[in-house]
Amino acid sequence: MKVDDAVPNEFSYPGLGEIFITNTRKFINKVLSWGRANSLWPLTFGTSCCAIEMMVYGATKVDADRLGNLFIGDSPRQADMIFVSGTITKKMARRLLTVYQQMPAPKYVVAVGACNISGGLFWDSYNVIDGIDRIMPVDVYIPGCPPRPEQFLDAVKVLQKLINENKTRGGVYGPREI
Amino acid sequence: MDLERFRERFGDKVKIDKNILTLADKKDLIRVVKFVSKYFDVLYMLIVVHRPPKFELNYIFSRYQDQEIIQIKVEISDKENIASISNVFKSAEWEEREAYDMFGIVFRDHPDLRRILLPEDWPGHPMRKDFVVTEEIKHWTGLDLKF
Ligand code: SF4
Repeated sequence: MKVDDAVPNEFSYPGLGEIFITNTRKFINKVLSWGRANSLWPLTFGTSCCAIEMMVYGATKVDADRLGNLFIGDSPRQADMIFVSGTITKKMARRLLTVYQQMPAPKYVVAVGACNISGGLFWDSYNVIDGIDRIMPVDVYIPGCPPRPEQFLDAVKVLQKLINENKTRGGVYGPREI
Repeated sequence: MDLERFRERFGDKVKIDKNILTLADKKDLIRVVKFVSKYFDVLYMLIVVHRPPKFELNYIFSRYQDQEIIQIKVEISDKENIASISNVFKSAEWEEREAYDMFGIVFRDHPDLRRILLPEDWPGHPMRKDFVVTEEIKHWTGLDLKF
């Protein structure tokens, strides 16, 4: 059958089966996003000063665990999201990409600090990636040099919202072409 | 440190000023470093300065028992190469790799002369005075990406 033939020329009501399937799909997607949003296990990729703030974020005062953001296994295989915190040099870019590719499919990236947004202090350096969105899809940016630990909390909140609205870039269906 | 020993041994091949030994000829480097290694334990720094058309290499040595340091200064033209001292002081290996990485100085007889800080396929040697950081170099990632 050609594509042109598929265009219906009569209006038809969806059958009961169709309604059931659509709604079930919506429901399942809701449940999945709810689950994903509330158990974001981060992979901590700290390469320099921003990493210190990330540690504070994981500690008791700014309690990350209450958002389901558990700092448990530092292994890319168990991680749902990655905090790229710290300057990424050109040599490190390849290692970062390797780690990113090892993470299982619904994966989210948070770019922490000025360095990862635009290069920061090192914007005209010969050896720093000016913005990691040039090498991987980024969902949330945290500005600051370094950002406050509370901003991490905010970023995770934003990420959860994005996941619930199904608007992440590397999101449910995996990264685009990496 | 009794610098008279150097004066006796090498005569006018080295110029001595406080604790800085300036070598007249880079061929004497290994001999002088071997002599230094009798009294000093550590090579703790190799500083390279590019003053076109010359490189100035400063080897700084220290020892554990007191605060003494000694510095050996050699000048080479920026097209020449120089002998590696890594079989006298083992720690020179990484220092020389860094000098190679940043300035493109080739060390003869070095066991493993690769880049140490920059990626292996990085174009050029960034600390040379004639190196210009262009837009292309700034944006180079070395990764073939499309997404
Ligand atoms: S953004 Fe600032 S604090 Fe963060 S890694 Fe870069 S220089 Fe360090």
